[in-house]
Amino acid sequence: MSYTIASNLKQAIKILKESDGKAQVIAGATDLFLENLPSELVDVSAVPEILGITRGKDFLSIGAGVTHAEAAASSVIRSEAEALSEACRIVGSPQVRNMGTLGGNVINAAPAADAAVALVALGAKAVLTDLYGSSREAFVVDLYGGYNRSSVDSSAEILMRFLLKPAQRGEGSAFLRFAPRAALALPLVNAAARIRVEQSLIKEARIVIAPAKPAPTRLLETEKLLLGAKPGLDLWQKVKSTASSEIEVRGSMLRCSEEYRCHLVGVLARRVSQQAVVRAMEAE
Amino acid sequence: MPIDKEKGFDAKNNSSGATVNQGPDVWAKAAGRALYGIDLQLPGMLYGKILRSPHPHARIKAIDTAEADALPGVRAVLTASDIKKKRYGIVVQDELPLAYDRVRYIGDEVAAVAAVDEKSASRALEALNVEYEPLSAVFEPKAALAQGAVQIHDQFPGNIAWQRELERGNPDRAFKEADLVVENSFSIPSVHPTYLEPIACVASSDYPGNLTIHTALQSPDIVRDIIAGALELPFSKVRIVGPVMGGGFGGRVYGNLKLYLLSSLLSQFTGLPVKMQLSREEEFCIGRPMIAAELKIKMALRSDGTFLARESEIVTDNGAYSAQAPWVSKTLSERNDSVYRIPNIRTRACLVYTNKVPTAQYRAYGNQAANFACESLIDQAAEKLGLDPLQIRLNNCTQAGDTTVHGLKIKSCALKDCLKEAAAKIGWSNRNKNCGYGISAGIHASGSLVANKDFRGASARAVLELDGRVTLFSGEQDYGQGTYGAFTNIAAGVLELDPDLFSLNCRDSLITPYSQGALANRQTTIGGRAVQLAAADLKKLIEEAASEMAGEPVRMEKGRLKSNDGSIMELAAVAVYYHNRTSGLTLTGEGSYVPPPVEYDETSYGNISVTYSFAAHAAEVEVDRETGAFTIKRIASVHDSGRIINPLAARGQVYGGVAQGVGFSCYEGYLFDRGRVVSKTLADYRIPTALDVPHIACCFIETTDPEGPLGVKGLGEVVQVPVPGALANAVADAAGVRVTELPITAEKIYRAISKGECAR
Repeated sequence: MSYTIASNLKQAIKILKESDGKAQVIAGATDLFLENLPSELVDVSAVPEILGITRGKDFLSIGAGVTHAEAAASSVIRSEAEALSEACRIVGSPQVRNMGTLGGNVINAAPAADAAVALVALGAKAVLTDLYGSSREAFVVDLYGGYNRSSVDSSAEILMRFLLKPAQRGEGSAFLRFAPRAALALPLVNAAARIRVEQSLIKEARIVIAPAKPAPTRLLETEKLLLGAKPGLDLWQKVKSTASSEIEVRGSMLRCSEEYRCHLVGVLARRVSQQAVVRAMEAE
Repeated sequence: MPIDKEKGFDAKNNSSGATVNQGPDVWAKAAGRALYGIDLQLPGMLYGKILRSPHPHARIKAIDTAEADALPGVRAVLTASDIKKKRYGIVVQDELPLAYDRVRYIGDEVAAVAAVDEKSASRALEALNVEYEPLSAVFEPKAALAQGAVQIHDQFPGNIAWQRELERGNPDRAFKEADLVVENSFSIPSVHPTYLEPIACVASSDYPGNLTIHTALQSPDIVRDIIAGALELPFSKVRIVGPVMGGGFGGRVYGNLKLYLLSSLLSQFTGLPVKMQLSREEEFCIGRPMIAAELKIKMALRSDGTFLARESEIVTDNGAYSAQAPWVSKTLSERNDSVYRIPNIRTRACLVYTNKVPTAQYRAYGNQAANFACESLIDQAAEKLGLDPLQIRLNNCTQAGDTTVHGLKIKSCALKDCLKEAAAKIGWSNRNKNCGYGISAGIHASGSLVANKDFRGASARAVLELDGRVTLFSGEQDYGQGTYGAFTNIAAGVLELDPDLFSLNCRDSLITPYSQGALANRQTTIGGRAVQLAAADLKKLIEEAASEMAGEPVRMEKGRLKSNDGSIMELAAVAVYYHNRTSGLTLTGEGSYVPPPVEYDETSYGNISVTYSFAAHAAEVEVDRETGAFTIKRIASVHDSGRIINPLAARGQVYGGVAQGVGFSCYEGYLFDRGRVVSKTLADYRIPTALDVPHIACCFIETTDPEGPLGVKGLGEVVQVPVPGALANAVADAAGVRVTELPITAEKIYRAISKGECAR
């Protein structure tokens, strides 16, 4: 087995090319297990081209190599993408947050990866580059290829950065996680929301829940219910029941029953939406 | 709050002003220099691995070892046909080193291999071919007790490993005369001690047949007895040398006997040292958790809250082999009866074989499991009677001078004050209505004598070295609880010497006195007393030798040898004088502490321990009623462990024990799927993280016990006992419903709330 820490993009690409599909990109390695190790690994977490957080005029760019700890500490992310900031603050443990990267979190493709759930709710796009220098953009949600499987071939493409729309006027986002222990535990449910209000009416809403399907899942019925609505007790009651009933979740012996997870989906969808609305109104 | 910032807390001195030494291991551990079992390497060492049964119950029809034997690097392949079929066990003899004709759980040992490296050993396991004939299996005690259930051991009909019926007083009359009878059923899963270091050992058998096992054990001498018996070796040929122990929590009293026996057998076959170590997954799947228990209990009370009687029906799940499960079942079924004055008791306890992982013991020996049930039921009764949970406990609690319902003689007891102080620390009289509060009390034997009525005490040696330093020899063990520091401090106190002048030898059975080891809260209480006596004996011998040397009476005062005219002699000079005069002997003080004889009858009524420790804990929790999620905000932990000779280590015990109690109550518990352990990693068997442990307010109410050395009593086990009861009661107070099945989880609270169960 070989493990190379690439110092720049060119070197990473060169190794990938030469390995003829055997080498795989890794960034953070917190979910790298001794079983089924690929024979060659290229660690890109120090590649300068995938680092850094940049606020442009109408975009926010977050390098795929940014660690959860860096993202959690970033004031730009806190003000422009609060859901992501909250998600990054709660991932794993301090050690995992110091090592694990946002790119790794997405490509690892765990169904309820905290940062990925927030990125999907925020409508983030991923920028990828192949070994011949051409780039493509894709929504984060489209990078999932199945349970714990990314559609990105990490022997042939490198995830460079995420692009987000910065928070607009009247917009707020939030992230919530419900886990059986305060650190180092898979969540029973996590939820993220991005909501925009205008004159006290909800004008845009993206509500995302996991784990339900291979990828973080938007609650389309719930979003429909929110659109154009005026926040109030009645609405929140309906958000809870609609969210609970609109997607199927699974139960497991190690985590919780299907019935309880379904209940939590409703509660978390409502709480995360409420939180996002409060923030949106503050930003109006 | 950091402990050193706590008001009035002094880590360097105890309440009598004596300077405290933390013992030799502490700094090695803190610096990362301590060597554990997993670090062991001996020249020529082989690596052993075990082939385990994939079936919960099956007949072994054939084992083909030819292919494995022929692999490069493989030095030995053992099956049951290569070794004597001699059963061994701790309480009942129900185990063989390797399964002979039948496997009884998923993980049962079928074959063992030794090879030049781990990879070759793993390959040898893959090359072994075993033909099984699966048999029907039972996974639940209820099913195992049913008529016609499959028999797991032929010699234990009905799958009953152990049972007991016990009656004290006249429970029938008490229940008839009671104003109130409350009852409920409780269930507690198996838990693993989850010591940080999985068990590892290196066994080395030399040509004349001396066997040395390098492994960290709480009770190495008792394990020597069992190993010598099982391998039919003379006891004096078995030596155990301990590296530093990476935690034990009761799980390493006997450690993993299978591992020691198989590595020893492999070493005997190959003539080379053989190392074996368990993976974390093996620890969970075969590593001897504590028994699971179902308790149905009933209490009789007068309308003023006086406890009249308790009746318990207890079924404990033994798994496939017994180890210490009968003893744990016994403590679980009776110790809580002595927390309060309960004059009438009826208990039926039954330990049942199932086709699951064999069980053993864990810190507090099931006392904490029963505490959950007993203390929950007391709160149910208090609520029915409209009494304050604190007051009903104060009215009934055991006090100094009592002889409890099981005959325990309570010579010192501050339980009442512990309850009051725990309540005060949590703010009982000024409770926040958005939170829930619970209180619970516990007793634990300190220096229990039931394991061996004849060998009740401990012995130690204290040697004055030629350089004037003192070396202590004791067979007692330190696995983080501070024994070595305590021994150093006790001996230093007697001789009035700087603790830094002392060295300690405890880990090599070749040179240490035989000992029962670290069990039953006996280290400081009993082992410490032996050290105290050895130091006093040495002091006397030093004075005698010094007087002889000076030709006039010499006294040792404040650590200095002074003759009548005030001249001072060096300790080293006296040591050398004696050494020369005897041509090589050293001044050696011997201490033997034999506690008073214990009298208990065939129902085990009697005073079974040197002394008893007490504790009361109070908890504050907040419950989110919509999801059942709860936050443990604070736990007040108040203890009567006699005199506290090392305040820093004592606090460490409380913090660790309460944290582990939080895990026991709200996080941990084995999950099985048809006999297969599902929770087999630290990701799935969830112990609490630092974020899950609440603020712990710790307090000691020091009593002076007439038995222990310097009035000390045990602390390491009792500290976990009241946690489940306090948390269960706090959650019930906050949620308005009671969870009767551990661990208490958000989902269980949510379900209880949604069902509107008001069994509170």
